[in-house]
Amino acid sequence: MLKIKNLHVAVDDGQKPILTGLSLEVPKGEVHAIMGPNGAGKSTLSYALTGREGYDVTDGTVTLDGEDLLEMDPEERAAAGVFLSFQYPLEIPGVPTMTFLKTALNAQRRARGEEEMKAPEFLKKARALAAELKMKPEMLKRPLNVGFSGGEKKRMEIFQMMMLEPSFIVMDETDSGLDVDALRIVADGVNKLRSPDRGMLIITHYQRLLDYIVPDRVHVLANGGIAASGDAEFAKTLEKEGYDAYAA
Amino acid sequence: MSRLSLWTPASAGVDGIFDMALVNKFPTRRDEAWKWTDVSRVVADDMRGLSAAAPVQIFVPEGVTVTRTDVITAANDATLYTLASEHAGQVWAIDVPAGFTSENPIQIEGLTYGHAQISLNVGKGARIQLVEHYDGQAGAFVNSHLNVKLAEDAVLDRVIVQTDTDTTVRAATTHVTAWASSELLQHTLAFGGKLSRLETRMAGMGQGVKATINAAYLLDGTRHCDMTSYVDLACPDGHIRQSVKGVATDKARGVFQGKFHVRRPAQHTDARMRHDCMMLSDTSEIRSKPELEIYADDVVCEHGNTIGALDESALFYMRQRGIPLAQSRAMLTEAFLASVFDTLEDEVMRESLLSKLRGWLAR
Repeated sequence: MLKIKNLHVAVDDGQKPILTGLSLEVPKGEVHAIMGPNGAGKSTLSYALTGREGYDVTDGTVTLDGEDLLEMDPEERAAAGVFLSFQYPLEIPGVPTMTFLKTALNAQRRARGEEEMKAPEFLKKARALAAELKMKPEMLKRPLNVGFSGGEKKRMEIFQMMMLEPSFIVMDETDSGLDVDALRIVADGVNKLRSPDRGMLIITHYQRLLDYIVPDRVHVLANGGIAASGDAEFAKTLEKEGYDAYAA
Repeated sequence: MSRLSLWTPASAGVDGIFDMALVNKFPTRRDEAWKWTDVSRVVADDMRGLSAAAPVQIFVPEGVTVTRTDVITAANDATLYTLASEHAGQVWAIDVPAGFTSENPIQIEGLTYGHAQISLNVGKGARIQLVEHYDGQAGAFVNSHLNVKLAEDAVLDRVIVQTDTDTTVRAATTHVTAWASSELLQHTLAFGGKLSRLETRMAGMGQGVKATINAAYLLDGTRHCDMTSYVDLACPDGHIRQSVKGVATDKARGVFQGKFHVRRPAQHTDARMRHDCMMLSDTSEIRSKPELEIYADDVVCEHGNTIGALDESALFYMRQRGIPLAQSRAMLTEAFLASVFDTLEDEVMRESLLSKLRGWLAR
């Protein structure tokens, strides 16, 4: 589904290389985890996949179901089904959560040539999902993420994910700042989205999240690329032994 | 249901003789208060309205009277004022009786070219909405002076919408005298012009005066807009809130000059001034001069001023969710500006202003 070949990404106007030949494939229906030491480039990978400015791809290819992702603007990648759950979700003052989501959903549908979702249907779906995620309905009327705690922001990311129904999900350190209860709710939401038609890339520093969202493959990102890969058990090994074995 | 009466001038649009020597006496950038709004540079002798009375039309609800008088209030010797006295014809005097309320507003139209002098007396305990459209003609010069008296406990809810052409030159000056416990609620939506000066001067003459003076300006092309205000408090317990927000793109020029003068007897004044703007192009300019002059020692007075650009991270977040770049920019800009109209209680009016704002953002 997602094929990354020899990806080189640099920051600081192309001056500072971070990823220097990363290759990775995530087949449809699978959940892959990426772990690695701080500064290795985990967030850089997530931003390069989603088209953020300031992250220059200097070599390599990325395709989603055969389509060249790197050619697309961020909003085009979203319409193609890519969703990034941010490590630090942004606050958007003045834009109510519901308005934001409905605009996003219908923008994606328009881009795909699909019919837009009408307000009553959207409201119904939003309320049902909010209840599932144990979110207070008032939160949907408030400006997006404004005044939300870290845990509430992460829960809102999962809520958006469930409303937008993306086909490829990148989760950037979703578990940071979450207590066990919030972690369980987030994991339940993610696990509900697991399906044979969906792929996921979970970027995490700690193994804990992977107890709840069990991955099919685990990769270590170090020294600008994938240094090692293994199964779910590999994550536990990494937690115990650390990343010293992969230091440059 | 109140009947609306229509008052129109008998001699509008008849051009008198304009003495071009006066051009030298128009405010220039050497006048401190006009340093970013040089009127003399944009006034040309072929401008419509230099020596004409504006074709003012005033619509009022039943119970409010309009007469024409010779009374000149708030006299001063500034050129713009002198010109208005000479060419505006008589003063339009609007009187709102004590205790008056109505669902219908006073509407002032016809400030499309020429000079106008208007006075508005709001009687004790009366409450009235005033809506003004500044829709100047192409190449026109418009110079209006509005003199407002708010008696004790009077409330004026004023809405101004400026949709001048980009070749219109406008100076709109308002003096408000506010007596005890009176309130001015003022919301302005301005799109600028070749040169526009929207000036509000308020004198707090009684205890417990309240004012909310908010505005949003949106400027493109080479448009200019100068929001100048001066609040002078002479009595205690004044409550003043000002929030002016603007965006400028292309080669537009925005100006904000706000001053609060809190005199020694004006203890327990609570006055806050904010000006926040965004520059959406590298060639736009915004000049800001907030001032607090405080002589009372037991007051809460603050001012804030920010100049910035759209938050790149927020833009990326919206695009990553599928919202196209142009729409993301428009949504963030609208959210930024719209807050100044949160204090406008009239929801229909607020939605009308927001809809015009959205129209500009989608252009």
